[in-house]
Amino acid sequence: MRPLDPRLLRAAPAARRPVAALAVVGVLQGLATVATAFALAALVVAAVRGEPLREASLSLAALLALRAGLAWTAERTAARAGARVTAALRTALLRHWLTVPAERRPDPDRGGVLAAQGVAAVEPYAARFLPALVSAAVVPAAALVALLVVDPVSALVVVLTLPLLPAFAALIGMATRDDTARRWASLSALSGHFADVVRGLPTLVGYGRAERQAEVVGEVSRRHRTATMRTLRTAFMSSAALELLASISVAIVAVTVGLRLTHGTVDLGTGLLAILLAPEAYWPVRRVGAAFHDAADGAEAVADVLAAIDGDPAVADGAATGRSGVERSGAGRSGVDVRLEDVTYTYPGAASPVLAGLDLAAGPGLTVLTGPSGCGKTTVLELVAGLRTPDTGSVRAGRTHLVTQRPFLPAGTLREVLRLGSDADDPALWDALRAVGLDGFVAALPAALDTRVGDDGVGLSAGQRARVVLARAMLSDAPVLLLDEPTAHLDPAASALVHDVLARLAERRTVLVVTHRPELVARADRHLTLAARPVEALR
Amino acid sequence: MSIAPTAGTTDRTASPAVPEGRLAAARLRPTRATVLGGLLGGAATSAGIALTATSGWLVVRASERPVLLTLLAAIVAVRAFGMARPAFRYAERLVTHDAALADLAERRTAVWSALVPLTPARLGRRSRSEVLTGVVDDLTDVVEAEVRVTVPLVSSALAGLGATVLAAAFSPAVGAVVAGLLVAVAAGCALAWWFESRSRDELLAARADVARVSDLVARQAAELQAIGAEATALGWLDDAHDVLARAVRRQSLGRALVANLLLLATAAATVAAASLVDVAALGGPVAALLVLVPVAVGEALAPLTDTMRALARAQGSADRLAAVLGQEPAVTDPAGVDPTGVDRPGTAPSDTDSAEPVAVDRADVRLAAATASWTGERTDVGPLDLDLPVGTHLAVVGPNGSGKSTLLAVLARHLDVTGGAHRVDGADVRSLPLEEIRRLVAVVDDEPHVFASTLRENLRLARPAAADDDLRRALVLAGLGPWAAGLPDGLDTALGTGGRGLSGGERTRLGVARAVLSDRPVVLLDEPTAHLDHATAVSVTDDVLEALRERTVVLVGHRPEGLDRLDAVLDLGTADPVPTAKE
Repeated sequence: MRPLDPRLLRAAPAARRPVAALAVVGVLQGLATVATAFALAALVVAAVRGEPLREASLSLAALLALRAGLAWTAERTAARAGARVTAALRTALLRHWLTVPAERRPDPDRGGVLAAQGVAAVEPYAARFLPALVSAAVVPAAALVALLVVDPVSALVVVLTLPLLPAFAALIGMATRDDTARRWASLSALSGHFADVVRGLPTLVGYGRAERQAEVVGEVSRRHRTATMRTLRTAFMSSAALELLASISVAIVAVTVGLRLTHGTVDLGTGLLAILLAPEAYWPVRRVGAAFHDAADGAEAVADVLAAIDGDPAVADGAATGRSGVERSGAGRSGVDVRLEDVTYTYPGAASPVLAGLDLAAGPGLTVLTGPSGCGKTTVLELVAGLRTPDTGSVRAGRTHLVTQRPFLPAGTLREVLRLGSDADDPALWDALRAVGLDGFVAALPAALDTRVGDDGVGLSAGQRARVVLARAMLSDAPVLLLDEPTAHLDPAASALVHDVLARLAERRTVLVVTHRPELVARADRHLTLAARPVEALR
Repeated sequence: MSIAPTAGTTDRTASPAVPEGRLAAARLRPTRATVLGGLLGGAATSAGIALTATSGWLVVRASERPVLLTLLAAIVAVRAFGMARPAFRYAERLVTHDAALADLAERRTAVWSALVPLTPARLGRRSRSEVLTGVVDDLTDVVEAEVRVTVPLVSSALAGLGATVLAAAFSPAVGAVVAGLLVAVAAGCALAWWFESRSRDELLAARADVARVSDLVARQAAELQAIGAEATALGWLDDAHDVLARAVRRQSLGRALVANLLLLATAAATVAAASLVDVAALGGPVAALLVLVPVAVGEALAPLTDTMRALARAQGSADRLAAVLGQEPAVTDPAGVDPTGVDRPGTAPSDTDSAEPVAVDRADVRLAAATASWTGERTDVGPLDLDLPVGTHLAVVGPNGSGKSTLLAVLARHLDVTGGAHRVDGADVRSLPLEEIRRLVAVVDDEPHVFASTLRENLRLARPAAADDDLRRALVLAGLGPWAAGLPDGLDTALGTGGRGLSGGERTRLGVARAVLSDRPVVLLDEPTAHLDHATAVSVTDDVLEALRERTVVLVGHRPEGLDRLDAVLDLGTADPVPTAKE
């Protein structure tokens, strides 16, 4: 893992400023820490010699107060950086996914987990690990430079012993690596067992297996304890060894200083400074090691997210990131032409194309598209909407609004649901509701447009849902409306109402509808049928 | 790891844990071993403070240019303290982690036993796997508190006390200064704890909301693109992030304040110690030692801010855990009925002493004027009459809140009727052991769990005695034939966490395969296709109904896909088409 992946700052520019703030505060804290050692040494010397303490006291108090202020700023900055970096990364990821066609997104389960929990692991990384990293870089360097100026002999001792720490750590790591890797693998299986069976508890209870599992839970937990302790013993031993090494190094400095003091080759102030500065050269290294383990998840999440954004071949090639392959033209409310030429499309992972060499054209007015189940009608709509990119061929269409078979109806108020994809005002919303015959129903609701509907529009009947999404389509200013079986599950009365609305919409826009309803086909300006191969206009 | 039953017998007659026992698993309490760990940690922290102090003494004494021999004791002491710190720290970490893991093992078993009678009716109506994941995480937090809270608190108290006594032995005035520093640190900790506790719930809610929105946007990316709502969706994300950022900053106020106060208190204590120390009486070396003690104490106690965060977090976790585990089971075995009777299907029920010795031979289910309630406060379904002779295929539709899930819970005997009657083969179910009814019913919900185990074990939990041929037949009937044939290791393929991932449709079909394999005569399908796309939903529904042709099937869904293929449709929501407030 790289401590700080520079791609993070490229992919999420909003993360630059908080990370820079962390660095600045970290450097100031490091310098203040070293300065405090000087003030403390001066105070001790003054106290020991019975000199007036006023000046030394004041400078120590001032420096500690400065550090107190910096500590305040550091905590605030770290918290803000954690929140900002996480938000910037998550926004960059989701913005990317909202820009690319379906083939370039992971499956919904993986995508959802990465965006929600995966990115969340970045917060401790940014809020805890990065500051520790900064102080590990700054404090030993500053302490060493100060030592070099004040007492070169002690500085030499530190320079000679300091590299022992990473070298020793690497040695321990090498000696235990295979063992540790093997143990971690079995450990993660053991530690995941409880979470796994608990999540499956309803299934186990359903099939009468839960009570027997209690014994397995106890047994696995005991094995987990034994295995974890074996691993931890090695980990604790190596960190104890490192701390011991650091302690001995500091003790060497202290003893050499003591001996030189007895010979009078160095004065008290210098000696005190040396023993106060020496530990600062060692401890941050150890601290960053502790934070490193906490941050490993975060660094991994950063890598995953960057892979999802940067690893996308189209982005890497420098190609347009938009939903490419589709020419967008025409705004406003007049209909425009939709044209597919020689389009072939294969679903990711599928062996053969669902559409091959398809030509299709639709102009302003109502066009219906029919065909046997599974022949690719929905795919045609998704290609026109730019949700998918054809393997070959070209798609030309204006901006589109696609009403899918499962239209998106999030939890929220009716107003929020209707305004998805447009910024219509209330009068426009009521106009649209009137057009779909829902104005009376909504007006009669106690909260009217502020009525909350649940996920998937629960609480509305199927016919009401269909009309709500139709009203939403009307509010969109896209010149091309695409609808996928809008009346498949509606009773005849509700269907007739929806068909009327579609016919009226087609007076001003290009409306392309996939349907099985003969009544709607009868009202169409154009009827296309999709067989396995090219489409012909029947009318 | 096996998720199928282990060989050997287990005690099935164990009575459900009493509430006291259940809550014990949720309680924050230090174990004796972690207190011992705290003492070892105190020794390590004290050694650190002593190291700084004796080093100061050594250097000042050396500057007086004494005979080298007089320094030897101090040199040995410096080395001893330097080596004692890592040694004590190592011992402390071993002791406390082992104790915490032992406690975790014990509590996991207790939590499991407490959860079983609460499953599924007391785990929420939807997203039970989220509730259960929460239980696992909260339990970890509660146990981790021993390492992250008990140990640092005990060791800080010990080291602080030691430093005070040492300082007071040389100079009572400096001792008082160090004691004052400790009081200031304690007050700072109390303040930090207050800030952390105050912002805890707000922060959790903000984090949950960010997770919800980002999950929604990631999953619905195509639908959002379809209607041109990308900017709106990113707006939701920005809003959620802003709320979270505010909560995080409010929480950081506590830590910032304490980090600040700690350094100011150290400054004041150091200056006070320097001015109070009497060099003439004590000598230079001891004076140096006393001036350095407050700095060493301040540095040693700085990590206590993290401790307060862990404490506030663990308290929240313990409260949530107690709220889940403290519930009363929704259904229990009737008094006087031997729950072990079900282990001997086919034996004459007259062997047992049960109050009403009725054998259930045919799974003909009948509800008469039945009502049911999740909480006992309001009626969630009914009164309802329903006649389900074996082989009926019934669809249940209706908007949320119309009682679809409640009806299924009654049929699965996750709930008992509060009024009216629920009879199976003519017998009132409330007079029968729970398992007598539950073994007749297989439930497929909208989030079938895939265990981290082989495909074979994932199926066999529905019927442990099943042979591989039975498993393959069930897979084919559930429409997983081609999928299973393409698996690299066949039935030995590892699934779940760390194994092969399954798509939503495959997961639902796996749940169906379990139901098919179980041979249970009644299959309840609770919105099995809720998370699937339209084409997959239709094809899954078709396959399920075909696979279960001879059994009773009750299919709940608010999606109308494929419902026309069933014998009858029960609409629970005909009366009230008004949008309901979101629960």
